[in-house]
Amino acid sequence: MTDAAAPARLGPRDFGRGGTFVVVKRVGIGLVLLLILAQSLIVVEARPQDLVTGVHGMADIIRRAMPPDFQKFGGELWPALETIDIAIFGTVGGVVLAIPLAVLAAANVSPSRPIYFVARGAIGFARAVPDLVWALFFVTAVGLGPFPGGLALAVHSVGMLGRLFAETIEQMDMAPIDALALTGASRIQVFSHGVVPSVLPSLLGITLYRLDENIRSSLVLGFVGAGGIGFQLLTAMNLFQYREVSLLLIITFAIVQAAERLSAVLREKIS
Amino acid sequence: MLKTCDLSLRYQNGKLALARFNIAVRPGELVIVLGGNGSGKTTLLRCIARTLAPSTGEVWVNGTNLVELSGERLRRARLALAMISQHASLVRRRSVLANVATGALGRLGGVWTALGGLPACELAAAYGHLEEVGLAELAHQRAGTLSGGQAQRVAIARALAQRPRVLLADEPVASLDPEAAEDIMRLLRRLAAEENLAVLCVLHQVELAYAYADRVVGIRDGGMVFDLPRAEVSRETVRRLYLSEAA
Repeated sequence: MTDAAAPARLGPRDFGRGGTFVVVKRVGIGLVLLLILAQSLIVVEARPQDLVTGVHGMADIIRRAMPPDFQKFGGELWPALETIDIAIFGTVGGVVLAIPLAVLAAANVSPSRPIYFVARGAIGFARAVPDLVWALFFVTAVGLGPFPGGLALAVHSVGMLGRLFAETIEQMDMAPIDALALTGASRIQVFSHGVVPSVLPSLLGITLYRLDENIRSSLVLGFVGAGGIGFQLLTAMNLFQYREVSLLLIITFAIVQAAERLSAVLREKIS
Repeated sequence: MLKTCDLSLRYQNGKLALARFNIAVRPGELVIVLGGNGSGKTTLLRCIARTLAPSTGEVWVNGTNLVELSGERLRRARLALAMISQHASLVRRRSVLANVATGALGRLGGVWTALGGLPACELAAAYGHLEEVGLAELAHQRAGTLSGGQAQRVAIARALAQRPRVLLADEPVASLDPEAAEDIMRLLRRLAAEENLAVLCVLHQVELAYAYADRVVGIRDGGMVFDLPRAEVSRETVRRLYLSEAA
């Protein structure tokens, strides 16, 4: 006995033309990706043989860097603290500036379209200029040391945090916000009692992730005179103090790992 | 007391969503509006709450015509009118108690509430409203952990914190199971009587209207079809209301 209501089974013919098209599309995409890879190898002048001939030079540097100079450990603690504090300053400064900008740059809560576009433009500009360039600019403006590093990270963080904060606000559920507005709450009350509690955990998570990123960035900023452990690293390399370099790399590794772990644990607690 | 006079709304595309609608709900009364999809039930509530601006007509709440007002004066006048909808729309990460207390924000000013704080006296009052809806034991739980029925009760408690004279309910039981739906309707019935609230409720469930309404209003194509005491609403009257919609 057959079931009259059962739908007709689809055979290979039903998929024939679509199947061919899918295969051609996949091959096409594969070729395009290969072309992109090939042009990048040409542009960067990739020479794998140089890696082989350079092995002796690298081995020599590693030999001269061993063992790490732990006698200088005490002296490197201050630059290490500087590095962490540059990141904290940059992150906090970035958050303080990014929150109001993000509110203005979120389409669902921005007071007007012109303000929305101005805020989006400011965030885009802060993000487009790399933190290293901001550091060079601030070193010129306020001199060498950790302060220009902190300023550079703060401004660049405004770009990164502002965009992510604005997107978080745009994606939130608007129903509780509308319900609060209907109770007669003012705009500022709706913001503090509705918007803030709804997005705060996400914003904290993003901020912790940014702090983690900023600690990595602050290591590099020292290379352009913006203080911290990066400045020590550059100086040691210029003076061929490879044992000190290896010590600094160990400290860098420890800081990055600790920051990453702490950030992950805190983000998990928040979510 | 809630009263509308010749309330009409015509959309920009020319469609008449509400046609000279007259309805009055006295304090202590629960009036249920029945009608098919797109008949204008929600539009009626939104025009009364002034989240939609009616084309013509009047909406009187406690002796004030809301249609004549705008800006701050409208916000203040609207405090007498609370609204709950199909979804409870609570701030999920805040406590149940804080969610209820936010219903009082319209009456509160100052820096403390602007910064996200809630006065102790309002939190105490919110606890009392939670007791009224039978959820005081969940006061410190996160709103996001509640079931649909519990969340709707909390939304009603939030509406009570507003100290309204009129409660508008837009399909408050649409997403609830039958038992939770009965609970919510019993609660609305009790609040209307005990708090002397004028309750105007839009429903799809005819049986609930028969069980809990003081009066039943039928709406079709934005116009009133009938406005009768519950006892006078026959099955045939309701059947014709929905039959005409289908036709």
